[in-house]
Amino acid sequence: MKRALLITLNEVKLYLQDRGDLAFSLLLPIVTFALIYGAFSGQTLFKATASIVDEDHGVYAAQLIEQLDGIDGISIEMLAPDEARARLDNSDRLFVLDIPAGFSAALENGGRAQLNFWQRGNGGLEGQILSSIIRGLAEEMGKAFLITAQVSINVQGTGVTESQIDAAVQKYLDAERLTPALSMNEVVVGGTADLVNMYLPGIVTMYVLFALTMGARVIVEERRRGTLERLLTTRLSAGELFFGKYIAAIARGFVQTVILLALAYAVFGMFTPVTFLESLFIILVYSAAASALGLIIASVARTEEAANWIGTVFTMFMVMLGGTFFAVEPGSVFYMLGRISINSYANEALRKVIAEGGTLGDVVIPLAIFIGVGAVALVISRLIFKAVPGGK
Amino acid sequence: MAEEFVVVKDLHKSFKDFKAVNGVSFTINKGEIFGLLGPNGAGKTTTIRMLSTVLEPDSGDITIGGHSVRREAAAVRAIIGVCPQELALYEDLSAFENMVFFGRMAGLENKEARVQAMKNLELMGLEDRARGKVAKFSGGMKRRINLAIALMGSPRLLFLDEPTVGIDPQSRNHIFENIQGLQKKGLTVLYTTHYMEEADRLCNRIAIMDGGQIIANDTSRNLKSQIGPPDRVSLEDVFLKLTGRSLRD
Repeated sequence: MKRALLITLNEVKLYLQDRGDLAFSLLLPIVTFALIYGAFSGQTLFKATASIVDEDHGVYAAQLIEQLDGIDGISIEMLAPDEARARLDNSDRLFVLDIPAGFSAALENGGRAQLNFWQRGNGGLEGQILSSIIRGLAEEMGKAFLITAQVSINVQGTGVTESQIDAAVQKYLDAERLTPALSMNEVVVGGTADLVNMYLPGIVTMYVLFALTMGARVIVEERRRGTLERLLTTRLSAGELFFGKYIAAIARGFVQTVILLALAYAVFGMFTPVTFLESLFIILVYSAAASALGLIIASVARTEEAANWIGTVFTMFMVMLGGTFFAVEPGSVFYMLGRISINSYANEALRKVIAEGGTLGDVVIPLAIFIGVGAVALVISRLIFKAVPGGK
Repeated sequence: MAEEFVVVKDLHKSFKDFKAVNGVSFTINKGEIFGLLGPNGAGKTTTIRMLSTVLEPDSGDITIGGHSVRREAAAVRAIIGVCPQELALYEDLSAFENMVFFGRMAGLENKEARVQAMKNLELMGLEDRARGKVAKFSGGMKRRINLAIALMGSPRLLFLDEPTVGIDPQSRNHIFENIQGLQKKGLTVLYTTHYMEEADRLCNRIAIMDGGQIIANDTSRNLKSQIGPPDRVSLEDVFLKLTGRSLRD
């Protein structure tokens, strides 16, 4: 046991000496996290450019455009009708607001006015949100005309002038806009948690699989530099060597994922102390299973190239089947195939704890699968491992 | 009568249909430097691998220091040191770190390993470079470290598989002197080389292998006398006479 731990320590020492390897394995989680942060966090304000064709050029068209321009996050782009159509045709724009000629005149005369939404398909998400905002503004304008008309009827014959009515209505609407009777309060609690919850487990489990490939290389490197055979002429047994390498591989995968999870904890606030520790435990057991699979690769591969090749194919296969980058519909063929990937169980277990408020008691089956896979893989790898062909 | 430290009896090892070692028997006396010579593919490395417990023989017996390699491999590994033909070092670590690590693997405690590491580095004339990274060492220095590591744990039998390949005469001479010094302290050595003058200079007895078998086993002088006056023929003449002049690889 002592010699096995010395093998682990030596592995760690070699790992720390290899600056390139060290930088790659420690910086990569940080870079990945920065990408996650950039993709899923930060600005919650809706930002869009409203493309507008003003064929009316009237006072109410200008008022509508001005109000739209006054909304935070929305900028205005004025287009000529032909240009707008051309851009829609080549999908350069998905949504354009057309204010038709006669829009202001119709409103002024108490008639019915209309706005046109030109869009490709459903106008895209941005277009749909813009159309909702424009509908809200249009309703507000319509409401002003309705109130003015109603007040005019009620004060008819009292000597109140039309301009006085307009001023009073405008004052009322401005006050309502500044201090509305019903207001919405937005409280931001971290990034877009749903997306992080969905993708982070997959990214974490993928990292563990990368560590598996690196772990597989470690024994092959030992063989290449001749130290493997030399070690086996010392008092070190093949079992101790194997165990030492195994612990080193687990540690390597685990450290990378601890960095990733700790950053997610600190920035997204997506864990409680308990769920953080539970997630670490799941990753530790999963790393043990993945590292044991890495030892099978190490036992089969004779060269570093072979170890890299087998490890990469294996990792991609597990990642694809394991639902790392997309949700797999339970019951589907893909879902059934994914059951052969330990990634799928790891992703499910982490999502259960991180996103669904589950506890370790809810992920007993995945944990049991990891322990079983790890034990079987260790036995298989030890049986097929040969330091030299025909040797021990 | 000399004490037999290594006894090899009728050793066989095949890889699929290829018989790498085919009925090899020899003994090495305690404190003796025993040369194992042969052309490429003769079976020397396979024999050393079996003696050093890395390969299991198909049949035959090996006893080292009274311990059976088959049944008491751990006890055998406790008394042997191996200097492989290819450099087997951690180039990213320092010479001292390499020595201490292999010392620990040889069963030494940390303090003991550190003391022995410095002692063996001094023996190899590398004490000034103890903290230097092995990757930055010259070929000769790496060879000396490779040999120094084999001495960690104070083995009683040393396997030296072509320890002087590709190094300058100074380093080679330094290694010879060390080996002879170790022999005087009672160390037994199994030495393989392609340099006949090395074997002639160092070895008490020489076995010549070819085709997986030992075709001659005697002192250098007696081997030479088989083909002519010992003072007028070289060991290389004997070697070529016994193994032929055809290329092997």
